[in-house]
Amino acid sequence: MDFHFTEDQDALVCALQSILQDHAELPQAERFSYCYFNETLQKILTESGFLDAGHDIGALEAALVVAETAKLPVMVETSATGLVAPMVLAGEKLAGPVALASVRNLEKAHRNLTIAQTMLVDMGDDVAILTIDPAQVEPVNSIYGYPYGRFVTPPDLATARLLVGQGAVLRQWWRVAIAVETAAASMAAIDFTVDYVKQRHVFGKPVGSFQAVKHRLVQCKAYAMATHYLAMRAAWSADPVHADFAACHAQQGVQKLLFDMHQFHGGMGVTTEHMLHFWTYRIRALQAEAGGVYGAAIDIADRLWSDGTQPVNLTSAARSEAA
Amino acid sequence: MINELKHLEGFRQEVRGWLQANLPADWQERMTGASEEEHVAFQKFWFRKMMDGGYGAPHWPAEWGGSGFSFAQQIVLYEEIARAGAPRLILYFIALYHVPATLLAWGTDEQRRRHLPAVLSGDEIWCQGFSEPNAGSDLASLRCRAERRGDHYVVNGQKTWSSNAHHARYCLLLTRTDPTATKTRGISYMILDLQTPGVSLRPIKQITGASHFNEIFLDDVKIPVENLIGPEHGGWAVAQSTLSSERGLTILELAERMRHGFQMLLDAAQSPSPMGGRLIDDDEIRRRLVDIYARIQALRLLVNNMLTRVMEGAGAGVEPSIIKVYYSDLLRDFTDLGVTLGGANAQYLQPVLMGCGNETGNWMQDYLYSWAWTISGGSSEIQRNIIAERALNLPREPKLAGVK
Repeated sequence: MDFHFTEDQDALVCALQSILQDHAELPQAERFSYCYFNETLQKILTESGFLDAGHDIGALEAALVVAETAKLPVMVETSATGLVAPMVLAGEKLAGPVALASVRNLEKAHRNLTIAQTMLVDMGDDVAILTIDPAQVEPVNSIYGYPYGRFVTPPDLATARLLVGQGAVLRQWWRVAIAVETAAASMAAIDFTVDYVKQRHVFGKPVGSFQAVKHRLVQCKAYAMATHYLAMRAAWSADPVHADFAACHAQQGVQKLLFDMHQFHGGMGVTTEHMLHFWTYRIRALQAEAGGVYGAAIDIADRLWSDGTQPVNLTSAARSEAA
Repeated sequence: MINELKHLEGFRQEVRGWLQANLPADWQERMTGASEEEHVAFQKFWFRKMMDGGYGAPHWPAEWGGSGFSFAQQIVLYEEIARAGAPRLILYFIALYHVPATLLAWGTDEQRRRHLPAVLSGDEIWCQGFSEPNAGSDLASLRCRAERRGDHYVVNGQKTWSSNAHHARYCLLLTRTDPTATKTRGISYMILDLQTPGVSLRPIKQITGASHFNEIFLDDVKIPVENLIGPEHGGWAVAQSTLSSERGLTILELAERMRHGFQMLLDAAQSPSPMGGRLIDDDEIRRRLVDIYARIQALRLLVNNMLTRVMEGAGAGVEPSIIKVYYSDLLRDFTDLGVTLGGANAQYLQPVLMGCGNETGNWMQDYLYSWAWTISGGSSEIQRNIIAERALNLPREPKLAGVK
């Protein structure tokens, strides 16, 4: 894995950033919201082809698009639409935004369902593609930084188009998407917090000058960067174990990170008045998806130690990868 | 300590019987999803009921209308309140603890006569005006300015994190009366009538969605000189009386509520697991349950140790800081486990039980609310500094080069 952008990747990210900087800001009226979906930006990203990077270039490039957009306080749907869907359904573009769900909990609330045109449903072995009828979706009140919705009546899976044998692929890329988005939102939340603790003074010093704060901030940063590289490795290698590792790491570390980010904002951290929650609530929502940390960990164990006789030799696995 | 409490078995049965007879059995049902108005009305009802029973102001001297209970009796009372799952008198916290401690130590007779009976009537709710946007952990940096003009002060500034100010009539206010003095020496302590012209409130929306806190803005607010508590410029010492008023009984009540609330975690762990069987069949879930249970036991021992010291007349020392850190970390992990056990259903917004303890089984709300506990009343970082410097005698953090 190369840690430097190729020229094309560099161009892609630069072009994307120049668009995002014009749309990153939250409207004043949305400052106290839990979530602000920027429909205009979603349209621009769709029309300018950024959500086709997964089809046109590759998964890693699609992941870079997710990473950039997930750093914004405003919300746009790029991970399911631009990364997961193209990997599950190569060569065919689905109407976005795309939402993801598992058939096991289809009756529950789903992230992005109220803005989605298409839903990919994990049926176990297969994947069903549902076209969303907005009249059949009701919004669900949630503090998480995404629009949540529930089906008014259960969707008809019997007549839905089926992608046979793609269930495992969907779960794999769902986990990659979770890891990429978690890492990027974590980095943004950390940057926001670092800015705050530099400006905020207590006992005549910036809060960030105290070891009680800065040591833990460093740990948060290390966690976010590790998640970022695990996520990018999973997007690059397309290895299901790498996807599980990335999601497991992303979802496991969240609790500590979220708490510390809010804690270091002092009283402001327990309010919705300082924008931090726009990232942290999204991170929290992602923690529970695609089987959650336990599901990912069990899948890793099953994939690596399925015969139950001996633990896999991780050192040799790492060595072969390096080669 | 146990011996003192053993002698109070009769008193304990009396309190238990009274709570059984008087606590509305459906109060939690009624207060789940209740409006602010309903919440306030029920707090007033319950406080007056407690007063009628002789339990509303257990620590107040009898001459001022309180129960005049011994410290040991108060311990028993709070154990029983927690055991019964009775409402917490959240709206009256400042009025019941901070107001008498401050006025009885520093107030004039006139101030005591005017305000103490009114508190016990249940009519007057109080709030605190200490913290400011740039003076929280570092309270002595406060800048809210009060200038003496004849028989009154003119106050300008801003206060924040004032719990329940929107329901309060009076505020315990710290202001700076001498800007030239060193930080703690130019502060004065006043009673602010929140209905005075120039006072405005703004609710602060919390991450749970509720708004218990307020900002208080003071624009040319006139406070009569007779509302000064203690000497002019001597408010820092008065504030110490305020802050040392409740001697560990609140944390005792909270620890007891958590001990009883553990059953909610056990119940939640009986739910079906996504992997088959019940959640409690999972080794990791059992490990986390045991971890929380063990820490609840340890918390109660820490609290007992502190209460014993207080009863014996020794100072509480750094125990309150140790217990504050221990409790707030434990509450976070307790409610975090609740969120885990509750699964996806525990993550949606649900109606909140108003006036309750910190564990309600509305897990996401409980969990997010727990985050306030590592900030309020001195953040965990400040408490750890206190413990490190006063208990371990570690040196203070060195001043950084270039930082003034």
